[in-house]
Amino acid sequence: MRAAKPWHPYALLLPTALVLGLFFIYPLLLAGYRSFFAWDLLTEPTFVGVAHYRTLIGSGELLAVALRTLSYGVVVVTFSVTFGLALAVALNRQGALYAFVRGAVFSAYIVSWVAVGLLWLWILDGEAGVLSRSLRAIGLPTADWLSDPDVALYTLAAVTVWKITGYAMVIFLAGLQDIPKSMLEAAALDGANRWRRFWHITWPLLRPTVAFVGTTSLILSFQAFDIVRVMTQGGPVKSTTVFVYAIYEQVFMNLRVGRASALTVVFFALLVGLTMVQLWAWRLGAKQRVAT
Amino acid sequence: MSRFRRRQALAAAAALGASALGGCAGRRRPGEISLWFSYGGKNRKVLLKLVEQFHRVQSAVRVHATFQGDYFEGLVKLRTGLFVGASPTLTHVVGEVVPYLTQAGVLEPLDGVGQAVIDDLQPALAQRGTFVGGGDRPLVALPFNRSTPVAYYNVSLFRQLGLEPPQTWAQLRQTARAATVTAGDSTTRWGFECPIDWWFWVALVGQAGGQIIEPDGTVSLGGEAGVAAIEHWQQLVHEDRTMKPPPGRDYNAWEATNNDFLAGRAAMIWTSTAFLRYFEENAEFEVATAPLPRRERHAVPTGGTFFVMPKGVSGPDREAGLTFLRWMMQPAQANAWATATGYMTVSSRGLSTLQGSGFFDTHPNDRVTLEQLAYAQPWPWAPALFRVQREAVQPRLEEAVLEHRDPRAILAQARRSIVNP
Repeated sequence: MRAAKPWHPYALLLPTALVLGLFFIYPLLLAGYRSFFAWDLLTEPTFVGVAHYRTLIGSGELLAVALRTLSYGVVVVTFSVTFGLALAVALNRQGALYAFVRGAVFSAYIVSWVAVGLLWLWILDGEAGVLSRSLRAIGLPTADWLSDPDVALYTLAAVTVWKITGYAMVIFLAGLQDIPKSMLEAAALDGANRWRRFWHITWPLLRPTVAFVGTTSLILSFQAFDIVRVMTQGGPVKSTTVFVYAIYEQVFMNLRVGRASALTVVFFALLVGLTMVQLWAWRLGAKQRVAT
Repeated sequence: MSRFRRRQALAAAAALGASALGGCAGRRRPGEISLWFSYGGKNRKVLLKLVEQFHRVQSAVRVHATFQGDYFEGLVKLRTGLFVGASPTLTHVVGEVVPYLTQAGVLEPLDGVGQAVIDDLQPALAQRGTFVGGGDRPLVALPFNRSTPVAYYNVSLFRQLGLEPPQTWAQLRQTARAATVTAGDSTTRWGFECPIDWWFWVALVGQAGGQIIEPDGTVSLGGEAGVAAIEHWQQLVHEDRTMKPPPGRDYNAWEATNNDFLAGRAAMIWTSTAFLRYFEENAEFEVATAPLPRRERHAVPTGGTFFVMPKGVSGPDREAGLTFLRWMMQPAQANAWATATGYMTVSSRGLSTLQGSGFFDTHPNDRVTLEQLAYAQPWPWAPALFRVQREAVQPRLEEAVLEHRDPRAILAQARRSIVNP
């Protein structure tokens, strides 16, 4: 297809380019520039070169934040995809009861993060919380879910999994609807049991959906802020200070615009790197499928 | 929709957006000023009542008071407001940040409130002459809601256990031990609870005989006194297991401490005098205050905030702001605020009035806070103080106490961190 005028494609791209440029590329370039200055919004910026990067690396803060964010992301992606897929397979049936359960599971996804955080704060209180009291009542050990630095990050990850699993389930249900029933019936007639039907038919055909859910869950987990702000404020002992919260803390609590900008630049680089790895894995998987 | 109606809708939307931005910038009629405040709950109601009263007694100035979140959220908004040129006529900030804002040159002098008002301020709460390095400086911050940390205890429980409020650190450990109840591995009642927070650590440092910033401006973090303060918390949390470090950070931890006290999960807590009326009105048991215990000496820092006027407020707005401040600083208003909340009156004449009226005889909890004021230590107003608080000490206290780290190493690391850009 040829454009009537050579400038037509550019004109069509212009609105998107403007929005992206104004709200994405310009702020990112600005953050890169600001990362070389010490600035508190109140006084004149002072050029400090790469001092912020050196401080963040030298103090170990950068590595600690990156590892925390990755750990949180890995737990969230792994469990939300696994539970979402399991629920989708189990609930992919007709009937009012199944519809009700599907709706109930998905309902957590539409509740605001702040409400979810407040609800789980009440449930997870180490002493008076419903969870700890129930565990104690049946003689099981409990933990300081949000006060123990070794546990708090995984508690937040578990709450996130609880919230977004419904989303993963709905996407997987849509993926399951696209799998021709005739293939599953033919396999059943050939004597394939449920597990073999899942492993050899459902799973391969669902792989693009898995990649999609995995990617969106990863992005969502890297954007974690509200739940940290409401439930732990980055503590205890910084154990839940993930990337976005660390940026917020630097710029808004510590008046460190330059250091927050340096964190933003590194965060962007990390996300680009992870996306490239994910795309590479996706393309590799697609090539292998074509080859077989 | 016709083209004409679309245009009308767009024009209306644009006008709405412009008026919203105008509102942010605070452009009002002459005599109308904005006040950004950070008081929640009961204290918010008391402030708004005072503002209403101000409107009743005069008609030249109208104050639009707007809640801005807690102290730190309010500070963020002030800073952003200053950056975009939309700061309020008046706001209030914590004492620790005043020297930082002063050095940044973003505060207007407030000497215009009049010498009579300035001379009437309680010296222990006014921070006059406390800038490190000294020198004549214009008055940029007026104290209003000032407090100190104080111990609150459950009187019924203490009576039942035959306990007295502790007067020394050693007694604090004994009392906390006696009031703690455990069931198996879990603790059903904590003898003592205190946020692992900068303010209470400064109190401990003072009690151990140290100071955070030396008179020559050196950030010492109390030296050995700073170490002793952390070790004291470590003993209570790890060795004795009688102190609950509340979950959450900053004011979330304070709120958790208050809730545990009111729910009977903590027998004794340290928090601000600002919660005095709140506890008295909401506890289902008798609440009493006690001075913080001493080690080498009695010592408490002061807390709360100071009224400030951001740079750029001028002309009629400036005069209107000063009129409001002058009225708020009068003994009657300072006392109305203090007696309704638990903060301490900042007016010397107001204090004399309260003493003369027998207020402290009928309010023994307030008397404790007043008597403790004799040991209050002013903040060393150095520009680095805010960074010392927010970046060097506060984030490391949790690590030192909860993870039982070497206090010397932690404080040495904190001192080193201050030099980073």
